Amino acid sequence: MTGTEIYKRTPTYEAEARSIRIHAPQWKLLLAYDGQRTLSEVALSAEMAYAEAVPLTQTFLENKWIAEEPITLDQYLKRLGAKDITATGAVVAPPVVLHDPEKDKPKPSAPPAPLPVTPPPVAAQPPATPPRPVPVPIPLPVPVPVPVSASAPKPVSAPTPVTPPPLPATPVTTPIPLSALPMPDKPAAKRTMKLSAVVDYITSLVGNVSLGQILVYRVFLRVPPELLLAEDIASVHLSGDASLINGEKLQKAIADAVNAVAKKGLPDSVYA
Amino acid sequence: MPLPEQDIHYFIDVTLTHLNKLTGNEITLRSPTIEFQSLVFSAYTGLLHLKGTAEGFVYITASQQFLSHLYTVRGNSGRAAEENCREVIGDLTGHLAQNVTKRFGTTLKLSEPRVFSTVPDDPIEMPPAVFVQPVVWRKEHAYIVLGLASAELSAS
Repeated sequence: MTGTEIYKRTPTYEAEARSIRIHAPQWKLLLAYDGQRTLSEVALSAEMAYAEAVPLTQTFLENKWIAEEPITLDQYLKRLGAKDITATGAVVAPPVVLHDPEKDKPKPSAPPAPLPVTPPPVAAQPPATPPRPVPVPIPLPVPVPVPVSASAPKPVSAPTPVTPPPLPATPVTTPIPLSALPMPDKPAAKRTMKLSAVVDYITSLVGNVSLGQILVYRVFLRVPPELLLAEDIASVHLSGDASLINGEKLQKAIADAVNAVAKKGLPDSVYA
Repeated sequence: MPLPEQDIHYFIDVTLTHLNKLTGNEITLRSPTIEFQSLVFSAYTGLLHLKGTAEGFVYITASQQFLSHLYTVRGNSGRAAEENCREVIGDLTGHLAQNVTKRFGTTLKLSEPRVFSTVPDDPIEMPPAVFVQPVVWRKEHAYIVLGLASAELSAS
């Protein structure tokens, strides 16, 4: 496990949930898997040390209560903050699975081949490791005429492979990060709320899944239905709801309802 | 004071316990949903209106096959007719009413159980949200639906 894996709870969990007996912190971790956040993020939101979360995750996997959730290219780019990459004119490949489940993933002996995609303009988060140089078209060297003697022709040596020079710090030819582009009409710091994370957070406030779900219900009794319907949310699935909430009014209404019913504020982890 | 979570969940819990008793613990739960726009109705429904510490309704709605299987495990033979299905759903609702009355006493008044097929004859007011607990038995579905309204909001 590297901490980048994404897990979600399974139908087996749903079937067995009422009979599962584990400690409260373990419930907190189990309920935090939402099919969107990485293991590291989930451990953080469950206020558990990563080293502690790994063996528990392993146990949950063995019990088939969670399963790894591979993500598509679009989801991967979205996680990095490169929103609306189509607007830049970049070529976007159809969704592909980037992260195969662990069991199917052989250890590569060589670095993986680059994806057949124009490098996306991702710059929202600094990479953990130094970025690899991006291949840039290099003009072919113009052949230099060599004088050839008729009597003693010189053998033509094989062309020497040309290594691309390292990129300058801000090359003109590389795509400009989205964050660097001026966005006059877009309000700053607009966040997206993940409904599943909200549900899981509220559920985790009670030491019992069934009662936690009732608490979620009491919270949503206080949220004006018209705000929900305006965002096409006609129902909330209490397990793994993939809905995202962009409307600030609805986000505030949910936060207020959680505060009124559970006397708690929503943590930052409910935002994408 | 609004009902605590344990009391609200009691409506669901007592129904599930009864169903498990009837089916030999073969009831499987699906993930619940909260609905904001519409109510869920299957072939037959048994409904109770609530008034007092909680206001709203609770109902059990089930497919004909679900009720037919229940009719069979209760020692009957043959395919359940409409009146048999109504009788089974009425018994489930009556059992729920009996237990709720025992637990909450006079603080929570219940209406007489109303049994209907498909959709209710009289319109039911849609509360801000309803809690729907789906249950599955022998691949057939039933739903326990809880709709709490104004008392829950005004009391807190």
